[in-house]
Amino acid sequence: MNAIQAKLEAIRNQYMEALVKADGSESLQALRVRYLGKKGELTQLLRSLGGLPPEERPMAGQALNELRQEVEASLERQAVLLAHAEDEAMEASDRLDVTLPPRGRGWGAFHPVVQTMNEIIDIFVGMGFSVAYGPEIEDDFHNFEALNIPPHHPARDMQDTFYLNSGKLLRTHTSPVEVRSMLKWGAPLRIIIPGKVYRRDSDQTHSPMFHQLEGLLIDEDVSLADLKGCLNTFVGAIFGRPLDSRFRASHFPFTEPSLEMDVECFACSGRNPACRICKGTGWLEILGCGMTHPNVLRYGGIDPDRYNGFAWGMGPDRVAMLKYGLTDLRVLFEGHGSFLTGGGY
Amino acid sequence: MQISWNWLNEYCRIPLSPEEAAARLTVTGCEVEDIQRPCKALRDLKVARIERLAAHPERADLFVADLDTGRGRSRCVTAARNLKNGDWVPYGGPGSVIADGTVLGRRDFDSIASEGMMLSAEEIGLPGIADEFGILRLPQGFSAGEDLVEALELDDCILEVSVTPNRGDLLSLLGLARECLGVIPGASLKPTDMGEPSSGGNWPLSWDGLYLEDPGCPLYGLSLAPSVQIEPSPMKTRIRLAFSGVRSINNVVDATNLVMLITGQPLHAFDLDRLPAREITVRGAKEGERFTTLDSREHVLSDADLLITSGGVPVALAGIMGGENSEITADTKSVAFESAYFEPLRVSRTARRLGVGTEASYRFSRGVDPSRVLPTLSLLSNYLLGQTGQRVEKEVRVARTRTWEKRKVVLTRKKLHRVLLWDDMKEASAFLERLGLKEAGSSEEGLEFEIPTARADLAIEEDLIEEVGRVRGYELVPSRIPPLLRGTGHVGDEVEAHRRIRITAMSRGYLEVVTYSFIHPRWTEWLRIPESDPRCHGFPLANPISQDQSVMRTTLLPGLLQALQTNIRSGWKDPIRLFEVGRVFLPAEKEGDEHREILRMAGIAWNGRDRRILYDNSMKDDLLSVKADVVSLCQSRGLMPEFCAGREPFGHVGQTARVTLDGEPSGYLMSLKPGILRELEIPGPVFAFEVDIESMLPDRGFRFGQVVRFPAVYRDISLIASLDTTVASLEKEIRILGGPLLRGAVLFDVYQGKGIPEGTRSLAFSLAYGDSSRTLRDQEVDEVHDALRRNLAEKGFVLR
Ligand SMILES: [Zn+2]
Repeated sequence: MNAIQAKLEAIRNQYMEALVKADGSESLQALRVRYLGKKGELTQLLRSLGGLPPEERPMAGQALNELRQEVEASLERQAVLLAHAEDEAMEASDRLDVTLPPRGRGWGAFHPVVQTMNEIIDIFVGMGFSVAYGPEIEDDFHNFEALNIPPHHPARDMQDTFYLNSGKLLRTHTSPVEVRSMLKWGAPLRIIIPGKVYRRDSDQTHSPMFHQLEGLLIDEDVSLADLKGCLNTFVGAIFGRPLDSRFRASHFPFTEPSLEMDVECFACSGRNPACRICKGTGWLEILGCGMTHPNVLRYGGIDPDRYNGFAWGMGPDRVAMLKYGLTDLRVLFEGHGSFLTGGGY
Repeated sequence: MQISWNWLNEYCRIPLSPEEAAARLTVTGCEVEDIQRPCKALRDLKVARIERLAAHPERADLFVADLDTGRGRSRCVTAARNLKNGDWVPYGGPGSVIADGTVLGRRDFDSIASEGMMLSAEEIGLPGIADEFGILRLPQGFSAGEDLVEALELDDCILEVSVTPNRGDLLSLLGLARECLGVIPGASLKPTDMGEPSSGGNWPLSWDGLYLEDPGCPLYGLSLAPSVQIEPSPMKTRIRLAFSGVRSINNVVDATNLVMLITGQPLHAFDLDRLPAREITVRGAKEGERFTTLDSREHVLSDADLLITSGGVPVALAGIMGGENSEITADTKSVAFESAYFEPLRVSRTARRLGVGTEASYRFSRGVDPSRVLPTLSLLSNYLLGQTGQRVEKEVRVARTRTWEKRKVVLTRKKLHRVLLWDDMKEASAFLERLGLKEAGSSEEGLEFEIPTARADLAIEEDLIEEVGRVRGYELVPSRIPPLLRGTGHVGDEVEAHRRIRITAMSRGYLEVVTYSFIHPRWTEWLRIPESDPRCHGFPLANPISQDQSVMRTTLLPGLLQALQTNIRSGWKDPIRLFEVGRVFLPAEKEGDEHREILRMAGIAWNGRDRRILYDNSMKDDLLSVKADVVSLCQSRGLMPEFCAGREPFGHVGQTARVTLDGEPSGYLMSLKPGILRELEIPGPVFAFEVDIESMLPDRGFRFGQVVRFPAVYRDISLIASLDTTVASLEKEIRILGGPLLRGAVLFDVYQGKGIPEGTRSLAFSLAYGDSSRTLRDQEVDEVHDALRRNLAEKGFVLR
């Protein structure tokens, strides 16, 4: 090793020692001046290279240059590290309690029936049904007569229907839309009819206004088997798992045969005689259904010899109450904040 | 309807427990809602005979009875005053249990011990069978010590049956027995031949005739009991009626009820001596004619009502209720019994219009079996003679204007298979035969069946398919997804729009509510809506349940305000925002048009009260924060609403905006009038909006903007304008005057007060200039901007 190399080595050691001690941008600047400045140690050494014998010059020059670059790079690296440390110190002093409540409006709340209605709609749309609507203020023809309920028939208990002074009435079911849709679109037809309906009845389980979701499928060669298939699929989808069902004979003027569908109590599956949801029967009454009565098809302008179909009507309010474990129907229409927000306001 | 299980089994032997039979009946369409055993609590009650009855030596209000209980003597103290020596009574000794579960014991009544007690009808669980006040006195013919429950056949259960309106035939024991035979395998019918009574004129008194003047009554039979003794019914009848839920009146009236329960044919008993004439005419009522039924209610009749008259005077409302003027009393000596067929719709119409529902009208409305009209009179006379010793004339008087043919209906293999995916015609026929239908012919397509007259509900092939289906069991029909696919279903614009809107509202902090479509009629007044406003003319309900739900809403606002009031009244103090999508109902716009049902969305925001809020002002709603909600809601359907100052009868005069969508006025945004807030007792401001959704239904898609590659150059402008100059108009002015290079103008400061003249405010806009094909030079921008300033100054604005 020659003298110049020894010198460089000494400078390097000295520099490294100083660099480690540097604790801020000022001391880094001082180091830069001391080694790389116009009168810096390395600058002066460079100037002295001219005094070396020519054959030593290139090697000494290269060694000197490498050291310069090393100093340069380490100063920069150190500057970045120091800047980060300074930032973090500043950030640490500017602390926010992240458990403070958020500012601004939070999520509101959905209404159980509207939510359930939408879920039911999606299930049936998935089976090829389309949504249809009709008026809530109806006439006698669409609400009763066209549904095979003649005037004065015991099936239309006057106590149950709200009338307007004009003689029109508030529809007592969504079924009038069946006839309107048949007249509008003809067969084949696959529709669901969600909406509000009205009956003159008010207590814990009856509200003068409630919701219905009706369905109608008309095609060539429709069987009760199709009805069972669609409704069983629906029940499995809305309650999240396949549930046992049973179909009881019943009577609706607009279907023949008419049935009521009960589903296995999703809470106890019939295993709890004290079950509050099914009252120990193991079954939940969920909807009425049947094969569309030929008279109704005729009123809808559809040839009952060529086409037949099935229809059902269910109460989304009841489905929502079962789904969310609610007991008082009337609460659904009073807009209580504590109810809608789950009491978490 | 209440059915006694034991009584039913007298007509049909059912090889099942009541519970099993109830389950089977329910599944096949005759719902059994409940099974009761009214006497199940009774234990160890006996029949006893009063040997000696004496006054209590110390207590004037009590008696002491020595009873023969079959196993010796027992002594009882009683307060009942209806007893005498030799009476048979129900007796419960110490340790026995009465209907309410009380265990009887010994009890001292002033030095005399009562060992158990003699019982009233109520104490054995059948208050309805009492025929007098006090202890229940039993008929002769028992022996002392006999078990009471066995002696009176009280070990029965009562089925509470709910019959659908098409099945009038099930409103009788005979009908139910037939149904049980049809749906319960192994059941067997016991023969009951009532026999047709002979009709003629052989009565021991003069009779002027029966006249049917109205087609509403095509068949009318009358039988005669010329000399009767009115008294309580036999105990067995009283118990049967009690188990059937029918009140016992006297032997004659009870006989008509009992027979009706068996055959389903309602009967009516007239006091013959009180009939104005010895004739009966069935005719339509005259409009406005008055008639007082035996419940002392006077009715004003219409010409659709059907009357039974005698000598021109109404004596019964046909098929519904008799009149006060001819009802059976304790003094009645001779009785005429009516059995008739009345047209179901006539009876149901009158009964519903007058609000009178009786066991008779219930059955006539659903149709009685015409073939049982006259035989029921035979059954009645057999019962009266056999059970009460009252004699009825053999011959009945009959008037008839119609006969009934048995209907024939064909069941085809094809249709049966189409519905049930099953077509065993032999088995199907067997099901129908058990229900009383007769195979009357066959062809290649199917079988023809003769329908019993009781089953008026079986009229078409589909009805037969239902009978086969329900008896065979719907569980045997497979379950399948309809094989014919007809393409995808469509949610449609309305559901789509509603969904988008509700999600937007909820994510902006609104609670979704559903309120009633009918409101209190005074809401229009409370909201100061004037006569001239269509919203003042909501449709009133002709028959509301209550006043606060009696008029169809014309705006969603009342429902939301009412919900807010409900919350405030129940102590809610936090800020709350409510949101609803629903229809309002408005009168037709011009004569002859349909009424209008308009789908709207509405919301209200209230800032709460008496609550300290962490971020206070930034959390409080005001008209502009709610305006942002309206904008977002409309934008969720691709529409940008416009706002201009507007008026609403219920809106704050200075803070009401009209909302315009696609150039059409669509609703309002406002702060509720302070005066209305005071009257509704809502503290603090309420901000509300209501907008038609109709124009938001079509999906407009979305048009994306151009990519900007050359940055804009910004210049600010600040000017002083009169308070009457709206921001919108100023923005518009700037856009017009700014020329083609002006990309946008954003208001960033509004100032009013010190240093600015009264009646004006200072507004500052940040303007962006740009060109889509190049970067603008400063000098170029300055020229355009200066021109804009000059133009604005020329328009009279003071530039700062
Ligand atoms: Zn359960």
